[in-house]
Amino acid sequence: MPFNAIPAEDFLNREPELNYLKGLSKLKANALGGDVFLDGARGMGKTELQKQLYRILFWENNVVPFYYSFKTANLKGTYFAQDYFTGFVRQYISFVKKDPSIANNVAEPLQRLMPTISSLGLYWLIDCIEDFQGHVNKNDFYWQLVAAISAPVMAAQKMGKPVIVMLDDFDEAAHLYESSLGDAHGLISLFGESMRNRLCPHVITGSAGALEPIFTDHSLIGMTERMRLGPLPEDLAIALFRAHLTNLKITCAPGVQLEFLDLLRGNPFYIKNLAKAAWKMQKNVITEKDLIECYSFEVSDGETAFYWASVFSRYVKNPAQSKAMLKLLMHAIENGGIEDGKRLSMVSGLGEAETETLLNALTTSGIMRVKDAVLHDFIHCLYMKEIEGRNVSDAREKIEAKYIQEREESCFELVIPMSSNAELVVAKAVEQIGKNINLDAEFLNYLQLALIEVCINAIEHSGSYEKKVFLKFITRPDKLEIIVENSGRPFSLESIKEVPVEEKMRLGMKRGWGYKLVHKIMDSVKVERVNDRTRVILTKNIDNGS
Amino acid sequence: MKSVQFSVASRREGDAAIIYPKGYLNNLSGENLVIECGIYIGKGITKIVVNFSETDLINSIGISMLLQIIEDLKNIKGTICCTNMSKLLRDTFEMLGLMQHMLVFPVESDALTYLKTGKL
Ligand SMILES: Nc1ncnc2c1ncn2[C@@H]1O[C@H](COP(=O)(O)OP(=O)(O)OP(=O)(O)O)[C@@H](O)[C@H]1O
Ligand SMILES: [Mg+2]
Repeated sequence: MPFNAIPAEDFLNREPELNYLKGLSKLKANALGGDVFLDGARGMGKTELQKQLYRILFWENNVVPFYYSFKTANLKGTYFAQDYFTGFVRQYISFVKKDPSIANNVAEPLQRLMPTISSLGLYWLIDCIEDFQGHVNKNDFYWQLVAAISAPVMAAQKMGKPVIVMLDDFDEAAHLYESSLGDAHGLISLFGESMRNRLCPHVITGSAGALEPIFTDHSLIGMTERMRLGPLPEDLAIALFRAHLTNLKITCAPGVQLEFLDLLRGNPFYIKNLAKAAWKMQKNVITEKDLIECYSFEVSDGETAFYWASVFSRYVKNPAQSKAMLKLLMHAIENGGIEDGKRLSMVSGLGEAETETLLNALTTSGIMRVKDAVLHDFIHCLYMKEIEGRNVSDAREKIEAKYIQEREESCFELVIPMSSNAELVVAKAVEQIGKNINLDAEFLNYLQLALIEVCINAIEHSGSYEKKVFLKFITRPDKLEIIVENSGRPFSLESIKEVPVEEKMRLGMKRGWGYKLVHKIMDSVKVERVNDRTRVILTKNIDNGS
Repeated sequence: MKSVQFSVASRREGDAAIIYPKGYLNNLSGENLVIECGIYIGKGITKIVVNFSETDLINSIGISMLLQIIEDLKNIKGTICCTNMSKLLRDTFEMLGLMQHMLVFPVESDALTYLKTGKL
């Protein structure tokens, strides 16, 4: 439905893109380009941009817009051909008559439109429809497809007016089939002819992972340029959220900064869903904490969860696969990516071959690559429910706790080289961090000592080639957490033996004292191994009473 | 925290040597400290006072170098006195079990009096 675009004034921050797309037909006429691949994260507004373009072109009357969504299309070739063809004819007549209802009325058979077409004098279109019907009657699969796909080109040539063809979620076209799924590869290449036509610029969307091989395989890439839709800037994201709230008659509590929205990274789909969640949860006046609550609803049961669940369902065939996929995704999130190798089938619980197939599907889908906190929370939530067997409210609570805590914390990161006296830089840094949170001055000295010890241990004993120590200081109202990480030789607390001083003197063994000090100074010391890194986690509880 | 570059100064007072480690006491500076003491011990001195008033940061490797000095003095029935130690330094020595192997005085003059008179 190209006509359900949001009001132009509510469509934020895409003016340059819209202006460029409006000029596509001129570019194409001059062979300067003219086919655009709209690339952007899910929900970033690719479809909306096409719809906005559609509306503008429709009323400007210089270029004919045609929009087709593959998302919901039936990919059986003959159905598709029929749908695509009639969709085009309807939209064309709709354009000529400036009557959106014609395009919107999908239930009306083409036959009923014949009188209108005649009255408009579009006799070539009648021929076109009859030709198409002829292929259908002859059951000619190939020509039905060709006739449908080339209809916009035909129209452009007959009328001399360019047609912009917008193919939404075009990667789905790779799955067009004749009688059963997967029986006909490469039907998507039939679009090549149409894309090359000077009168028909194309605006395409779809997963980059899935489209790239299509473009290279079918040499469709020549004139196609990539246009990247980035996130809405922070201020506009907030403005959009507030506008949604206003529409839903929800207000913000005084002083609410909506800082939590940063998490949505300017994604209009997430922003809209969060506002709707607030409405569903019957919030009238919203606080920062309400937002977190609405968010946890969104990633567990809201439209965002529904959206991602439906994306996932495309890649799995049965419950076992779906669990396996969840485990793999969770593994990827926890480890910052996925490594190759047989170990993964241990993670997924499926056989190697099946795991591999699943991984390939996930890679193509692009889900693996996205660094999207919302998606990660959705996965985490689902994981807690499906794999850990938690109930919904428990899972939601976990998500909320994470953000409530995060709101109160501040975080500093520091990387030092493994060179002499570098640990002093850390000591200096922690001194200031400690002052910022009013840590007791005396304790700060001990903290410096503890950190110096941990850093020296990393520098002296890790044998790391990277020669860097990564530090992260997280301060919360009730505790200070310091994470020290480095690559190289593993190290464990058990390996440090308690040796009394006398023994040390006798043996001339003068090292290994460091962690003794660290243990005495900190409230907890943990050592973990993450991939090839050693991670030491130091915590000190902060007593707010004194 | 000043963290000046480490250096060791020293002087003699009667039959005792007084050592002043300055700055960050780590492995390198600890070694210098050992060398400095070694020079006096080589000259027959058995009483050493380490005045920590200008030591700011330390690490365990630096401290462990002190073990060497303690041991060397033990072998010649000598005495090591530590003075002007910050609370951090004292606590650290305590945590590492070093205190019982040295004499600790609040200030340098206390140590010198003790060494001269044998009285605390
Ligand atoms: N620039 C914008 N300003 C305001 N709202 C927008 C903007 N872009 C998109 N939206 C709204 O955000 C939602 C998601 O947009 P849309 O469906 O176009 O995303 P998409 O990139 O096509 O997503 P998908 O990857 O799922 O196809 C829609 O409700 C749309 O109206
Ligand atoms: Mg879309």
